Amino acid sequence: MQRETISLIARQFWSNTFKSKAIYPIMGIVALIVAYAAYSGWKNYTTHNQIRSHYQQVARQSWENNPDKHPHRMAHYGSFAFRLKHSLSMFDFGLESFTGNAVFLEAHKQNTVNFSEASFSTGLLRFGEISLAVLLQLIIPLIIFFLGFASIALERANGTLKIILTQGANWKEVLFGKSLGLMGMALLFFIPVALVTLLLLFLTEEATAVGDVLLRYTGILLSYLLFFLVISIITVLVSAFSQSSKDALIKLLAVWLFFIILLPRTTQALGSYVYASPSKIEFNSAIEEELVKVGDSHNPDDPYYIALKDSLLQVHQVSSVEELPFNYGGFVMREGERISSDIYKNHLNTLLETYEKQNSFTRLTAWINPYIAVKNISMALAGTDFESYINFQKQAESYRYQLAQEMNELQMELISNEKPGPDDEPHVISSDHWKEFPDFKYQFIAIGTALRSEWGSIVALLFWSLASVGFIFYLSKKAKAI
Amino acid sequence: MYTLLIKQFIRSKTVVLSTLLILALGIISILIGDQFLAKQEKAIAEVTEHQQEHIERNVNWHNDEIGLLLYYIRFALINTPEKLAALSIGQRDVNSSIQSVTIRNLEGQKYDTDLNNPANLQSGNLDLGFVIIYLFPLLIIAFTFDLLSEEKEKDTWRLVAIQSPSVRSFLLSKLSIRMILLYSALLVLFVFAILKLSLPINEALLAFIVLSMLYLAFWFALCFWVISLQRPSSFNVLSLLSLWVVLAILMPASVNNFVANQYPVPEALSTMVKQRDGYHEKWDVDKKVTLDKFFAHYPEYKTYSWTAEGFDWLWYYAMQQMGDDESRGQSEAMREKIMQREQASRTVALFVPTMHAQLLFNDIARSSLGNNMEFLDQTHEFHEKMRLYFYPRIFKNASVEAENWAEFRPEYFSERTDTSWAAMVLPLLLIAAILSTISTFNLRKLKAI
Repeated sequence: MQRETISLIARQFWSNTFKSKAIYPIMGIVALIVAYAAYSGWKNYTTHNQIRSHYQQVARQSWENNPDKHPHRMAHYGSFAFRLKHSLSMFDFGLESFTGNAVFLEAHKQNTVNFSEASFSTGLLRFGEISLAVLLQLIIPLIIFFLGFASIALERANGTLKIILTQGANWKEVLFGKSLGLMGMALLFFIPVALVTLLLLFLTEEATAVGDVLLRYTGILLSYLLFFLVISIITVLVSAFSQSSKDALIKLLAVWLFFIILLPRTTQALGSYVYASPSKIEFNSAIEEELVKVGDSHNPDDPYYIALKDSLLQVHQVSSVEELPFNYGGFVMREGERISSDIYKNHLNTLLETYEKQNSFTRLTAWINPYIAVKNISMALAGTDFESYINFQKQAESYRYQLAQEMNELQMELISNEKPGPDDEPHVISSDHWKEFPDFKYQFIAIGTALRSEWGSIVALLFWSLASVGFIFYLSKKAKAI
Repeated sequence: MYTLLIKQFIRSKTVVLSTLLILALGIISILIGDQFLAKQEKAIAEVTEHQQEHIERNVNWHNDEIGLLLYYIRFALINTPEKLAALSIGQRDVNSSIQSVTIRNLEGQKYDTDLNNPANLQSGNLDLGFVIIYLFPLLIIAFTFDLLSEEKEKDTWRLVAIQSPSVRSFLLSKLSIRMILLYSALLVLFVFAILKLSLPINEALLAFIVLSMLYLAFWFALCFWVISLQRPSSFNVLSLLSLWVVLAILMPASVNNFVANQYPVPEALSTMVKQRDGYHEKWDVDKKVTLDKFFAHYPEYKTYSWTAEGFDWLWYYAMQQMGDDESRGQSEAMREKIMQREQASRTVALFVPTMHAQLLFNDIARSSLGNNMEFLDQTHEFHEKMRLYFYPRIFKNASVEAENWAEFRPEYFSERTDTSWAAMVLPLLLIAAILSTISTFNLRKLKAI
């Protein structure tokens, strides 16, 4: 293979594309969409992060302003966790519109994460969202198809292909040259998107996280580069092996429709069909039933707690709970919280595993569908994937648990075992304890963890890149000039 | 002549294959809808059974204190799923169809979401609505884009022009064959849906079918217009597909982004914080202040006695009530905001057939955002009804046994909607009519070459 020949063919493809006037309106339209998607992403990110951190503060202020009181009142007063957006969510919204944003954290009760964007959506969300990532995943491949479907088929129809091949270029060089030319066109659309994203990141990112964000950004760039390489090569190969350019176009469009629109929906539907997930009622009843079996601190005659009380009295050699060296109520609640949280956690993990199994069908198709591979990597690096969704829930739940248990500990240590009489002051502890308990702070998943959870997609994308180059070598022997 | 045209069209392998494909996808989508309905019905059966057990158990545990009992027990209200929801699942998978609430502070309970896999929500449902809105147009494009240009490119046009009495009616008969085939496919799918889902034959079903037919008519008209420009096949197919991408993906998604950015809902979060503070802070406020506010809201309960010292249930439920009363403003502002979103989307949708079809399908199937908002309003009324029923019983500490607890079964809500035929039909009809008129005008001078 001659490098000059390849670059000559690539350059010829490039200049031919600009000769056709169709490219200018396409570029204009894409520029508009890029601008709109960038603005939308930026606006979405800044508005929501502002709103969420504002209410996190408001909620914290009312927490701290509570006067001296019984710690169990504070356990019920509770706190909130608001999900903050990763700065790269400006680029890829991922699952964010479909996951809740805020959860009320209180003792004895795991609330759902509420107020997803989808729950306020009018049904238009069914058509998807416009983000820079969606543009790269859906629209740019389509444009690559439009620009490249005729790349070889038309040359053959015109008879120019024969001339190129007789003038010393071989098939490999033609296929590589055309692919690189087409890839160059793709870069023409991709580079502005990459620059706009970088600009947005610099406009909003706090200096501390810059290294991490840039690493993620680089990962995203590389994945899309490989993706466009694969798409460009496929386009040229389809063009080379179609009888006419119309034929090539229809094949490519069928590929787009099938892999980008139909297959993901179908595999996702199949996943939820095969691995049915429980309804909320089913989920909650299962937890309630198990709790009743193990020991429910809300049941006054619960055998578990009666046995616990008896053994406690025995160990401390006392005859009534009032004589214990710590507050008995706090002890029971600590035990109750431990048991119910464990049960809840197990059920939640099973539920999340079911969801992961549902997603596994789509995930597996990354091996035949590079779109899924790049989509998953992109979401993971932007901190908007399924892993991040689970992660927020887990952080919120662990904060809730700490809060409840901290209040129970305070009750055990600082609240007297004697019930106050009708004329006594109620038992209270100092409000300083409220200020001492730290606020909820959401941590994004480390980039390493994010990449590890997507290793399958990464390998699949690399496999696709190598395979598509391999196809050129393999198919160049079979291609026909006429 | 007509039979020849039919034969020529049907002989194409692509035509047969793609028709079979859309029938298969349509059937799958109906089965998915059926499964969705089954899941909803199962959840309803479960909540009915669960409520009974749940009440029985709690009545056993707390049979001496009705105030404490009512702290625990939940009452369910069900947003009855319409059978048609199987064809257009809409927002029904996002928003819960069952509300299970205690008589405590409602604002802290009513927005609780269903359990959902966000990846499923993101990929969207493959319901019949999707097949009609996205896939049928693609078939229409594939079958019609070279209606005229093919003849020209294959050099058969001159022959046609000489042999047929009117070239325009020749084109129209070719078009009508394609229309008959696709409308038949649509009809087959509806018949299958009616049988499989045992859909009741009523006005809603009729509206759904008419809307689907008009929507396809719009696409035929659009294709006919592009054909009438008499450009080469490649131009036709590229412009029609670009139109499809714009109408089925870019426009609605952009409008969705716009609406979401234009009307963010911080009120949701402020309602949440406010309802917590509204109730919990009352523990540290003088009892009389809270009770005065409560009596101002419900003067009829003034007669019940309470003590200044210690705990009593009248005070407790008055505190809970304050969670709702004090977050009412925020909650109403949130509702207002969501209705603005709905309004904005609907206004734009009048001019974009894909969006119009989606929103109207959801309306007819009662799976829209509006339906959910009504359900939330109804939850509010249901909650009020339950608490007003129990308040006097709690305040005078009525006996738990005196109540017939088996009576408390889940209640059902069904949205009352009237199909507004004009608003549904006119936008599509108008756009289709305008496009057809322009096309006919374009075709008045059909060149023979």
